[in-house]
Amino acid sequence: MSKNQTLAGRGAAAVLASVILLTAVTTVVLARSSGAAPAQQATTPQGNLVQAALDKDNVCTECHDPSSPKHTLTIYQTRHGVKGDATAPSCQSCHGDSTVHIKDTKKPTDVVFSEKSPNLSAAEARNTACLTCHDAKARTNWPGSQHESRGVACNSCHNIHAPDQKVLSKTTQAEVCFTCHKTQRAQVHRISAHPLASKSLATAPKMSCSDCHNPHGSTGPHLMAKASVNDTCFACHAEKRGPFLWEHAPVSEDCSLCHTPHGSANAPLLKVRQPVLCQDCHSGDHANQVGSGANLTTGKVTTINGTQQPGARAPRQQLGARACISCHPLVHGSNHPAGAKFSR
Amino acid sequence: MTTKPTTFNRVSTAIVRGVMAGLAFSAAAGPAAAQDVTRPTSTFEAGPAGVGNGAYKAAEYSGLPSKGGFAIGHFDWRGGGLFDSDSALRWRMTGVDLGLDTRGIYAEVGVQGRYRLSVGYNGVRRNRSDSFQMPFAGAGTNRITLPGSWQVPTVAGSAAANNVTNVISARGLTPSVATAPYIDTQTTSPTLGGLLTPTSAQMSRVLGAANADLALFQNVNLSTIRNRYDLDFGYNFSPTLGLDVNIRPEHREGAKPMGVVSRATGGDISATIPDLIDTNTTQLSSNLNFHNKKAFFQAGYYGSFFRNAVPFMSFQNWAIGPSGPGTLNTMSSTPNSNFNQVNLSGGYNKSRTTRLTLNASYGRNTQNDAFLIDESTPVVPVNSLNGLVINTAFNARFSTKPAKRLTASAAYKYDYRDNRTDVHVFQFMDANQPLAANASFAAGPNNPLGPVLATNAGANRHINTKRNIGLAELEYAVTPGQWLKGGYDFQQVDRHCPGSWITCANADTTWENTGRAEWRMRLGQTTARVGYAYSTRRASNYNENAFLALVPYAGVTPAGVTGGETYASYLQANNLTGWGPSLGFFPSPTGNAAVFFPGNSETHLNVYAWENRIAELPGLRRFDVADRDRHKVRSGLDWAASDRVSIAADLDYSGDDFLHSRYGIQDARTLAGTADLTLSFEAVTFNAFYTYEDLHSHSAGNTFTVNSNGTNVNGATGLSGNTVCNGFVTLQERNNNAKLDPCLDWFADRRDLVHSAGVNLTKQIGELELLGSIVVSRATSKNNATGGNYGNNVLIGPGATPTNVAAFYIPATPFPSVYTDTDDLIFSGTYRLRTGQALRVQYSYQRMNSDDWGYEGLQIGEGAIVNVLPTNEQPFKYRSHAFGLGYVFSF
Repeated sequence: MSKNQTLAGRGAAAVLASVILLTAVTTVVLARSSGAAPAQQATTPQGNLVQAALDKDNVCTECHDPSSPKHTLTIYQTRHGVKGDATAPSCQSCHGDSTVHIKDTKKPTDVVFSEKSPNLSAAEARNTACLTCHDAKARTNWPGSQHESRGVACNSCHNIHAPDQKVLSKTTQAEVCFTCHKTQRAQVHRISAHPLASKSLATAPKMSCSDCHNPHGSTGPHLMAKASVNDTCFACHAEKRGPFLWEHAPVSEDCSLCHTPHGSANAPLLKVRQPVLCQDCHSGDHANQVGSGANLTTGKVTTINGTQQPGARAPRQQLGARACISCHPLVHGSNHPAGAKFSR
Repeated sequence: MTTKPTTFNRVSTAIVRGVMAGLAFSAAAGPAAAQDVTRPTSTFEAGPAGVGNGAYKAAEYSGLPSKGGFAIGHFDWRGGGLFDSDSALRWRMTGVDLGLDTRGIYAEVGVQGRYRLSVGYNGVRRNRSDSFQMPFAGAGTNRITLPGSWQVPTVAGSAAANNVTNVISARGLTPSVATAPYIDTQTTSPTLGGLLTPTSAQMSRVLGAANADLALFQNVNLSTIRNRYDLDFGYNFSPTLGLDVNIRPEHREGAKPMGVVSRATGGDISATIPDLIDTNTTQLSSNLNFHNKKAFFQAGYYGSFFRNAVPFMSFQNWAIGPSGPGTLNTMSSTPNSNFNQVNLSGGYNKSRTTRLTLNASYGRNTQNDAFLIDESTPVVPVNSLNGLVINTAFNARFSTKPAKRLTASAAYKYDYRDNRTDVHVFQFMDANQPLAANASFAAGPNNPLGPVLATNAGANRHINTKRNIGLAELEYAVTPGQWLKGGYDFQQVDRHCPGSWITCANADTTWENTGRAEWRMRLGQTTARVGYAYSTRRASNYNENAFLALVPYAGVTPAGVTGGETYASYLQANNLTGWGPSLGFFPSPTGNAAVFFPGNSETHLNVYAWENRIAELPGLRRFDVADRDRHKVRSGLDWAASDRVSIAADLDYSGDDFLHSRYGIQDARTLAGTADLTLSFEAVTFNAFYTYEDLHSHSAGNTFTVNSNGTNVNGATGLSGNTVCNGFVTLQERNNNAKLDPCLDWFADRRDLVHSAGVNLTKQIGELELLGSIVVSRATSKNNATGGNYGNNVLIGPGATPTNVAAFYIPATPFPSVYTDTDDLIFSGTYRLRTGQALRVQYSYQRMNSDDWGYEGLQIGEGAIVNVLPTNEQPFKYRSHAFGLGYVFSF
């Protein structure tokens, strides 16, 4: 590595950091100058639109006022409550006209989202309310997706009225997913795991489930964010993409042939520890030997006639230490003309 | 290793301090905190924190210091118009973990419905090991060298020609091991087989090297950090047309352990060096989106550009020393690469319940870094790969609801990875082993490499994979709260190897058919489901000789072979694999068999010009293409017993049977289940869970050797210990039938058992909110084996009687179980002082106790491996405590 390259990289980092600072300052200035706008001005065309939207909501907010125990009005802190945006919904956009409810408040609204309500609407009805606006981009493949076909509704994960949706924050998203995906909740606490769980104070998880998965449907397997497992992994592990002079066939086919993504008892995120993982495919030369506890100093030692010379009383090179990758470290591919065995 | 602050760290720290100072000023100058539930709340938290008795692994991703203080710093600052403002401008800035180098900061501004601009930064630290040691100099660079005072470690030992010698061994770093009595193996020695005490000269050499070398081992902390930036911009030209652009540069630096191999007298040796990481990856994506009520369309671009500032890693051979000939070895680093992809997707909504979605993508993945060319690579036909991979994909999905109770969907997926890189023949030294002459392929017209001998000639090859997948699913609502679903999936995977002289795919095609059925119900607050799937995968004729694609000389007629036959054509004509005929020793083969399979053994390595034996066992089926039957059961129950009590349980099972795999994976079973209890009261929420996971698989192999006609070891002819496996009686019988000996079959039993349990508690006591969670995990990995191998009796001298034991059969024994216990506890108490202000006390405790026999081979000591330089890395054992006090200000 040349020093210049290092400095160039750090220089770029400094420039980017400066951009962040500049944007932050710009954000504050913008906010100070125009963001802290006074309440709606009904005398402007925009103000008229806002007033009209508020009037429409007033059908509901007349009863669901700030004293409402469910804090219904916190939706006004969210994107859905920005009346200055003409595309923002009204209460009835999602809950339906609910004329029966308006006449008799003991009756439910047309669409009931509360999962604890005995009048809970079918998932399809709830989802339709959302997909009316949100059916494109990341939701393109929602129909027929694993979540859709198992009756998961948008509000199973999204708390629309909450100012801070757990599922939209990297810090808390996994908590929401783990509500159903309980095995994965346990797996992230293993010795080798992707950083999806916060395990100590003052530190946020460094990954979120949605870094790899698109819960709204995908063209890939397992609701992968990209079209394949490998494409998803390459988003963070671009060094594994290649192409390499010497390819390892399972690597280019599917990372999950050897790795398990959420957590494993076998580092690094391996399905089975080495060397047995490698021996599942390689049986020639030194890969054909049986792995045995014999000769481990703490194992059940069985040696030749009970005696073996001290210099040889040790596990085989392929078994102990880093096992196969002690000598074949570049199992993801090598670009060295002498790297056919992933040793160079 | 002390981590010096980088330029970036200094800059980002300054930014963070500036932003926080600005926040504090702004907050102080701003209006009092609003009570209105409609006004966004901003929060700011800061305070002192500290780690006592921390650990590197405990802070693997958190970035907590090993010991000492750090600052708590989080903020979430929001602004812009209120909900009833005629302005749709909103902005938000957030920061997390600002006192650590794993901090994240993010700023967003936009006029909702028109545009959005955001920038962000995230530091992701990964601590790997703080117990790694090495004698090399040059950590943090790409040139790892041995200090001048390094001496090659040896143990006192014996050889066939000399029973007083020193043998190169990493176990020489442990004097008590290296100077222990050793077995006399000099063939002419009158004390052959007896124990010898090292001479003073032997001991002096051992101790001299050990003393010199042990002083050179020093700690090198191994960690990497990613500094990731995000720039995101979205603009809506109209309510139906928008543009999104995202740029994500990332710099990654640090070091991770890398095993490296070199050649030494007697075999390969290995060391572990800190692999320098200094890479930049930039991802760029852009999408133009159109949508209305009936249709949507998206045209997009995605690019990923990987740049590695480390062109190679060089290191010196510890068995040669710092200045011996051939001591310098070179590892390649990951090459720079580019990936450019265009995506088109669209959809049409025929009605609210009928939709067709289409997606297509075309990607080009290129790489053309110059090859490393040195004395270990005598024949390199091109200077760089000029690699090109074309990725094409197409997806179509149709869903509809033909009747009120019936939902139907169907999908088709096509995915093709087409590696169009040229194939060439390279010649190289394997692990810097000098090339040996190969009489079978002498220089001449029969040798495609011209005047260069053919040993270690290899051809690159690429397996291209084409997937065609079809899915169909029907769901019927039996009652308003009950659904039955059935589905059928089909997958065909075609593999081929363009440019390769012979196919490199073990199976050209695999077909997998899956039938699925699921029942689910919802009754009030209770949901349940049970699903079952059965799939069969079958491969076209499994090709056990696919490895020959790497061996171009298998297509060349070697010396002594008649009729123009090649190794490959001989195998094909005789329906053999590289393992050769499953026959015993035949002393006088004739014809071409005498060249290809002398003694009916596997292919002799000198014939096919590949350094190692590369024959795989006949009957081995690689699990990614092996014939397989799979059963899957998934079930779950969520029962809300009352408003306050809910119970959940799920149980999943997966079972794979590899039907025609005599060797390789035989079967795999996974059983996972969870029980979950949640209690919710007015001021208390309690959740407890237990999860069980059992991953169990079996694999088979064979420790076959070369057929021979050896009759005795120093006159002894008997075998001992192999009656348990019905083995042969005499050494000659065994040697004659080395490929048929039933005692050499082995079976491995691998099992990971993990118990996890956790409790989460939240409790409100007046102004005090308590949060606590603990997760306890107990993982045990068991590796057992049956079968075994032989070891010659080295304790007998010449003239032993034939009834003496020539070789002992050593049964395989179970490995010690690998344990990992982890406890993660987080507790916090937040006391609300008055509106908008609170104090938060936090405490976390992390414990890990891991015991793994794999570490034995990394130690300087009894467990050291002859040809692996120890690193003294230790299994993870720690108890880490962290405390924090934060002042929370909301406005």
